Amino acid sequence: MKDITKNDTSHVIKPNKGSEHPSSTDRHRTLIKVQGIEQSFKVGEETVEVLHNSSFTIEEKTFNIIYGPSGSGKSTLLNVLSAIQPPTRGRVEIAGFDIYKYKPEQLAYFRGSQIGVVYQQNYWVSSLNVIENVALPLYFLGKKKQEAHRLAMDALQRIDMAPFAKKSPLLLSGGEQQRIAMARAIVADPMLIIADEPTGSLDTKNGDMIMALLQSYNRDLKRTVVLVTHNMEYLPLADRLIKINDGVCQEMQNDDVGHTTKNLIKDLGDRIDKLAESKRNG
Amino acid sequence: MDKARLSLAKSKRPTISLRLLLHMSWQNIISKKLRSWLTIMGIIVGIGSIAFLVSFGLGLQQIVTDNVVGDNSIRSIEITTPNSRIIKLDSQAIEKIQKFPHIDKLGVAYSFPASIGLSGGGIDSIIYGVDDQFQEMTTLNLIDGRLLNNKDQNSIVLSTATLKAIGISDNSKALGQDVEITVPLQYADPELKDLEESFKIVGIIDSGQDNEIFTTTAVFDAQQVPIYKVAKVIADDTDNINELRTQIEASGFQTSSPIDTLDQINQLFKFFNIILAGFGAIGIIVALLGMFNTLTISLLERTKEIGLMVTLGGRRRDMRRLFMIEASILSIIGALSGIVLSYVSGQIINQVANANAASRVSERFNIFSTPMWLVAVLVLFMLAVGLLVAFFPAKRAERINPIDALRRE
Repeated sequence: MKDITKNDTSHVIKPNKGSEHPSSTDRHRTLIKVQGIEQSFKVGEETVEVLHNSSFTIEEKTFNIIYGPSGSGKSTLLNVLSAIQPPTRGRVEIAGFDIYKYKPEQLAYFRGSQIGVVYQQNYWVSSLNVIENVALPLYFLGKKKQEAHRLAMDALQRIDMAPFAKKSPLLLSGGEQQRIAMARAIVADPMLIIADEPTGSLDTKNGDMIMALLQSYNRDLKRTVVLVTHNMEYLPLADRLIKINDGVCQEMQNDDVGHTTKNLIKDLGDRIDKLAESKRNG
Repeated sequence: MDKARLSLAKSKRPTISLRLLLHMSWQNIISKKLRSWLTIMGIIVGIGSIAFLVSFGLGLQQIVTDNVVGDNSIRSIEITTPNSRIIKLDSQAIEKIQKFPHIDKLGVAYSFPASIGLSGGGIDSIIYGVDDQFQEMTTLNLIDGRLLNNKDQNSIVLSTATLKAIGISDNSKALGQDVEITVPLQYADPELKDLEESFKIVGIIDSGQDNEIFTTTAVFDAQQVPIYKVAKVIADDTDNINELRTQIEASGFQTSSPIDTLDQINQLFKFFNIILAGFGAIGIIVALLGMFNTLTISLLERTKEIGLMVTLGGRRRDMRRLFMIEASILSIIGALSGIVLSYVSGQIINQVANANAASRVSERFNIFSTPMWLVAVLVLFMLAVGLLVAFFPAKRAERINPIDALRRE
């Protein structure tokens, strides 16, 4: 496994797709720059440090996967990237803005317009129907109901969920709910999509479908995707992997992804063998 | 990235419209139908009982006022003299009063004890000699015939009670009938003799049990009666009554006005109405506790939803506003329904009471009176206390941390 610091970009693979921008310098601009962030929480008297001095960058229009064991700080890192959790120390720049320097209201607008989120577990405003839930980010951006619903319908059509528009989201299956959450994530046309184990509570078929959607958002809509998963089979989809272990982030380049995945699976195999052996012996 | 620049750097960002917040609050209210209805029901009972009790107080106040002030204009002032030997209410004095500012109308009246009968040996009564203006200001309750005018000679209008006393029970037979009236004019001037003349009945009024006879001032003017018993003026505006009274009193006369009585009645009923509203307020307190409970439960249930909305770009203050709007909707619906309910029950009681009293009372009366200002005051009051109660849950909604909220399982 090769560690690459944030300043070393010589190995960055160019995104395998045409850029929207005519200028070639725009092709892999840095979208997110995380510098020396630390995150600690107070639990009673104790202070628990979740993230330690982590730095990395995420290029525009790339597909990024953050992976690591549970409890390693993945979700906290995503919260920091989603502009809802100011880090205890360090800075997060998105599109050149040190986002946590801005007022909560500015940040709220930023979240609504620039960040689409998908969670493992689906959250809905239960009194609103599917299309209203999908349109929520647009409501908060000050769009009129009619226009918000038109855009929400477009987003639903894109994922073939238009017939569900007037239903209550709570009555849909997990897979359907997750697809609608995907519609909600892109409805405001954000530049960044953050997905926290979106396949975690789905079966393989639905999980693959969600991953395909994320890929298409990245490839066809040219959005930057940051995904947390511990389904290792999805790792090869990434342009770049960010490994997090015990609150420390390491980034890897695309040409290592296949290698890394194989290593991980080998490690897993070794662990299984070891555990099985200890049971036989024990 | 230009979009990002816009979203962060723009000084004035558009935000969710009040209409959509209203829509979201409304959706939440109707999605919890039973709970919302129970909360609204509490407010209906609370506001309804205040509206009902205060309407009752106001209705009673109106009935009392109508009975005491009657049809006298609120702007009228009655002028009498405390001692007719020193300060005379004669034509000179009337001319002087006539010149005071703020006078809209002025009328005069003679008044004497009188004896009335069909032919000699009559019964005791009171006779008033009134001019047109005075008659107009007195608003006699005519039930048959006509009122007097200044061309009448020896015509009278008398009350049903007087008619009965002299032995005429059929009103229609009384009209055109001649009666003998004796008036001892010495009460006004010892040198005058008794007036003994025959008068024709032209009109009949209803004045309850009073024995009253009205005739024109000309009857007494002809006898050269020097002083009027009473004069009545109407001020051009309620605000000028006091000024006018002061001026008249400065000339040595006594004045009285329905406003004096009205002030006392209003004073008494103000106190009475506050007590009634106080009873109703107990209901409001219970209703408010119910609403506080509803909003708090709603807050606890919706912690995740609020966290979600904040993550999706909702501002904290929008979350607070959601709760404030919800409380406002509950308050307004509850208050209006309560008022409507109290109004309808009040009207039913009014109808029943009027139907029962129809044989004894000629005019309609309202035991319950719900003026528009009461509706406005109650709705605004409920809205104010509703928002006050919503303040704490709303403040908590504003403080919800999306990370904690979404983590909670």
